[in-house]
Amino acid sequence: MIETTRRHMSKITGALAVTVLAGGLLAAPARAEPVTLQWQTANLTEPQFEPVWKQMIAEFEAANPDIHIEPILVARKDDWTKFVTAAQARRAPCVVQEDLATSAYNGYLMPLDRFWATEPAAFRAAYSDDIMAAMHWKGALYGVPIWGGVFAEIYNTDMLTAAGLDAAHPPTTIAEYLDWMRKLTKPGQWGTAVLGGPTDTTTRVLLTWIWANGGEAFNADMTKATFAADPKSLEAIKTYLGLVGQGLAAPSPNTTNYLEQTVLFEQGKIAAVRSAYWAIAKMLVDNPSLAGRMTVGPVPGNGATLALLAPASIASSCKYPDQAWKFIKFQAEKKWALERARVSDWMPLRNDMMDEPEIAQDPLLQRFMQIGLQARSYPLPHPAWAEIGGVDVVKAVQRALLDPAHTEQIFRDLDALLNKKLNDL
Amino acid sequence: MSARRAWTGRGLRRERWHGYFFLAIPLLYLAGVVLLPLLEAVRSSTFRIRGLRATFVGLDNYARVLGDAAFWNALSVSFRFTAISVVLHLALGLGLAMLVAECGRTRTALRIALLTPWMVAPAIAATIWLWLLEPQFGVLNWLLRAAGLIAENRSWLGEPGLAFGAIVAVDVWRGVPFMMLLLGAGLATIPKEQYEAAAIDGAGALARFRHVTLPNLSYLLAVACTLDIINTVRQFDIVAVLTGGGPAGATEVLPALLYNTAFRGNDLGGGAAVGVLLLMIVLAFVSLYIALTGAARSDD
Amino acid sequence: MRPAVLLRWLLLGVALLAALFPFYWMVNTSLKPLGEVMRSPPGFISPNWSFAAYATVLATRPVLRWFANSLIVALGSTAIALVLSVLAAYGLTRFFVRGAGAVVVALLFTKMLPETLLVIPYFQIMSDLGLINTHLALILVYSSFSVPFAVWMLVGFFRSIPREIDEAALVDGATRLTALWRAVLPMAAPGLVAVGLFTFLLAWNSYVWALVLTTDSTMYVLSVGVANMIGEYRVQWNELMAASVVAALPVMVLYSLLDRHLVSGLAAGAVKG
Repeated sequence: MIETTRRHMSKITGALAVTVLAGGLLAAPARAEPVTLQWQTANLTEPQFEPVWKQMIAEFEAANPDIHIEPILVARKDDWTKFVTAAQARRAPCVVQEDLATSAYNGYLMPLDRFWATEPAAFRAAYSDDIMAAMHWKGALYGVPIWGGVFAEIYNTDMLTAAGLDAAHPPTTIAEYLDWMRKLTKPGQWGTAVLGGPTDTTTRVLLTWIWANGGEAFNADMTKATFAADPKSLEAIKTYLGLVGQGLAAPSPNTTNYLEQTVLFEQGKIAAVRSAYWAIAKMLVDNPSLAGRMTVGPVPGNGATLALLAPASIASSCKYPDQAWKFIKFQAEKKWALERARVSDWMPLRNDMMDEPEIAQDPLLQRFMQIGLQARSYPLPHPAWAEIGGVDVVKAVQRALLDPAHTEQIFRDLDALLNKKLNDL
Repeated sequence: MSARRAWTGRGLRRERWHGYFFLAIPLLYLAGVVLLPLLEAVRSSTFRIRGLRATFVGLDNYARVLGDAAFWNALSVSFRFTAISVVLHLALGLGLAMLVAECGRTRTALRIALLTPWMVAPAIAATIWLWLLEPQFGVLNWLLRAAGLIAENRSWLGEPGLAFGAIVAVDVWRGVPFMMLLLGAGLATIPKEQYEAAAIDGAGALARFRHVTLPNLSYLLAVACTLDIINTVRQFDIVAVLTGGGPAGATEVLPALLYNTAFRGNDLGGGAAVGVLLLMIVLAFVSLYIALTGAARSDD
Repeated sequence: MRPAVLLRWLLLGVALLAALFPFYWMVNTSLKPLGEVMRSPPGFISPNWSFAAYATVLATRPVLRWFANSLIVALGSTAIALVLSVLAAYGLTRFFVRGAGAVVVALLFTKMLPETLLVIPYFQIMSDLGLINTHLALILVYSSFSVPFAVWMLVGFFRSIPREIDEAALVDGATRLTALWRAVLPMAAPGLVAVGLFTFLLAWNSYVWALVLTTDSTMYVLSVGVANMIGEYRVQWNELMAASVVAALPVMVLYSLLDRHLVSGLAAGAVKG
C-alpha cells in the first residue's frame, strides 16, 4: 500500500516535471522483438575474458535466435553497487554472477532447484558434492558453478636453481617453506610477498595459511570465529605475517594486492607467489620470458587450499527464467569450460574434464587441478562475508602488520567482532 | 524614485505572487527530483533492510551506528580532513590568486594552467595519483629518493598517517585552483585607490593585506568557506579510489562509511542512517556558520 | 630582477610544477609501451613513445559514443539548470519574497546530500518512470545538483543589475517574462556563462549517477567508460591514461575558450553578494 502510494507520488511529480520540460522528452527504448537477457558479471571488463564472452554470446544467439544477450559492462569495484541498486528496484539483470550467500539472503536470486532437477543425471554428476554444497543457501540451489580458481604456490624456477633448491620437489611442510624463503632472500630480492592490500585477496591467502596448518578460522556452521581462538590458526597467522618482520617478504605489504604481487614476481623481485591459476596467464602476458620457467607446488602444510567458485545465477526479478537457464547451461558446457581455461585461465569445475586433451597437455593446469582436489570453496557461505572477508579480516591483517607485537590481541578482537556479525542475521 | 511607485498596496501583493510563480517552477522541480529521494532515504533509515526484506526498527539503526566506533572514527577523520583541506584551499588559493594578480600579460595563461587539476574528474584525478603514489613503481617515491628527502620507498597509501596526508594532498591539489579563481575575481574588484592610500600612510605589505585585502574579501571568503566545507565533507571519489577508507579506517570519511555500510556491509538501512546523520551535522554546522556571519553583515 | 619578482616567479613555478606534473606523467605513461610502464627507475622520456595505446583504446572501445553521450547529457543539464536558476534568481531578487534567505539556504541544503545516499531511491524512481538508459534521466539528476550553486551566483548577479532596467521594459508594456528575457538577461550574460560552465563541468565529470542509471554500454558516458578500464586483476595503465587524457581534454579546451567570461561572471556575481 505504502509502496503504491509512493509510486503514485513519484509518478505524479515525474509527470509534472516531464510536462514542464516538454521540449526534451526522449522516448524510452522500444522493446526488441526477441527476448533480451541482461548479463552482468564483473569479469566482463577483464581483458582476458573478453574474447571468450564475445564468442559465447555470438554462438548462443546464433543457436537461439529468439534470445538476445545484453552484456552489462561495469568496473569490478562498482559491480556490486550496481547490482544491488537494480535488485532493490526489482530490475536486476537476468543472468548474474554475484556473491551467492549474500544475494540469496537478500532475496535477489531465484532458486534453481526446479531447473536442476530436470537436467540429465550426467550433467548433475559433473560437479562434486562439496562444490554443489557451496551453491546452496538454506537448502535451496542458487547457482551453477561455472569456473574457479585454485590457489597454489608458484615459484620462479631460475631463482630456485640459483639458490641451490630442487625445483622438482617444492616444499610440502611449513618448516621447509620457511627454509626455502630464507635461502631465496638476498639484497634486492625476497622470498615472497605478504598480501595486506584492501581487497579480499588478502583474506584468501591468509585462509590458505590457516587451513594448511590444520587450523580453522570459523566453526562448521559459521556462528563463531576462531582466528585467534584456534591455536593452529593463530600459529599460522603469526608465521605468515612474520615473514615481513623477518625480511623474507617484500616491503609495503599494506598496499600489496594481486596486481602488485604478480608484478613483483614478473620482475624477479620475489621468488614465490601464492596465487590462483589465472596469475600464470597474467604473468606470461606481462613477461613472456617466464614461459617454462615456473614451478607449481602445493600449499605447504597439509595440502588444504582454497578454490574461488564463480557461479551463474538467475535474479529473482527475471522475467524470462527459462531462457536464462538456457544461457547458463550453455556457459557450463565443456566447450566453454575449455575456452575459459585456454584463453582466460579460469579452471573448469566439472570433474569430467580431467582427461580432455587440452587439459592433459598443460602440465601447469594439470598440477593446479590436482592441487584443487583438496580445495575448500570460497567465498565462505555467510551473507556478511563481503564485509568480513573484504574489510574486517583485512583491517586485522593491516593492523597486525603495523603492530606485530600485538598480533594475538588484534585477532582476538577480530574474533569478538565477527562473533557479533555472524549472528546478526 | 520611480522604482518605489510599483511597490505599494495591491501592486505589492500582485508582485509578490509573480515572485512566487517564478520561484515555483524550480522549487517544484527540485522537490520532485531531490526531496522525494531524500524522504525515501530517511524512511529507509528506520528499517532494517535485508535486501528485499525490510523490517521497521524505528531509531534502532541510529542507535547501532552511533554505538559503533567506526562512526566516531569517521566523524573524526571527516572533521580533520575537512578542516585541514578547507584552510589549505583558502590560504593557498588566496596566495596563488595574489601572485597571479601581480602578473600582467601572462595572467590568463597562468590561470588556465593552474586550473587544470580542477577540470579533471575527481575519480580520474585520483587514479592518476594512485599511479604516482605506487610504492614500487610510482614516480613520487623515485623523485623523493633522488632528491634525498626520503631514504627508502614509502608506502603512501599503506600507512595510516601517510594515507591521510595523501588524501588531503590530492583534495588540496584539486580544490585550490577553484579557490584561486574565485578569490582572484574578488581581488580584481578591490579598488586600487585603497591600496595606494594605505601605502601612502606607510603600511607595509603585511599591513596592506590585513587592512585592505581581507576586509574587502570578507564576504567572499565567508561564502567560499561555506561552500567549500559543504563540498569537502561530501568528498568521496578521491577516498574511494585511493584507499577505500583504509588502511584500518584511517581515511574513512563519513561518505565512505556510508558507502561501505550500505554496499559492502549489506546494510542499506544503516547506510541511510549514516547519511542522515551526516546531513544533520553539516546542516547544523552550516546554519551556525551562516547565523554567525549573517549577524556580522549589514544587509539581508 | 627585483627579489620580490623573483620570489613571485619561484613560488608560481612551484605551483605550476605541482599542478601540471601529474598530467605530464599521465601523458608520458599513456605514450609508453606497457613493458616500460612498470619500471624502476621510471622513464621521464622514452624513445618508444607512440600513440599505440590511444589507437587501441579508440579501436576497441566506443570512445566517440561515450563522448557524444557525455556531451548530450552535459549540454542538456546545462540548459535546464540555466532556465531553472534564472527563474529562481529572478524571483528571489525582483520581488519581495518572504524568506528569500531561507530559500537560498534550502537550495544549498540540497547540495549537501551525499550522492550514495540517494542512489537507490533515485534508481527506483527513474525505473518507475521508465527512464533507465535514457539521457533524460541523467539530465534531470545533474541539473538538480547544479541549480543551488547556480541560483546563489545568479542572485548576486541579478542584484547588481538595477531594477530600473526592468521598470523601463515594463513601462514599455512588456510582461515580467519578456522583461526578463529582453532586458535583464543580456546584462547578465557573463554570469550565465559562468553558471553554464560550472554545470557543464559537473555533468561531464560525474560518475556515480551514470554508473547506476545506465546499463546499455552504448549509453555510457566518458567517466563510466574510463572507470571500466580499471580491472582488479589487470590494469592497462597506458590505455587507462590514454582514455583519461581523451576524457579531460575537451573540458580544458572549453575552459580555455571561455576563461574570460568565467572570471568576469564570478567577479560580478560572487563578490557583490
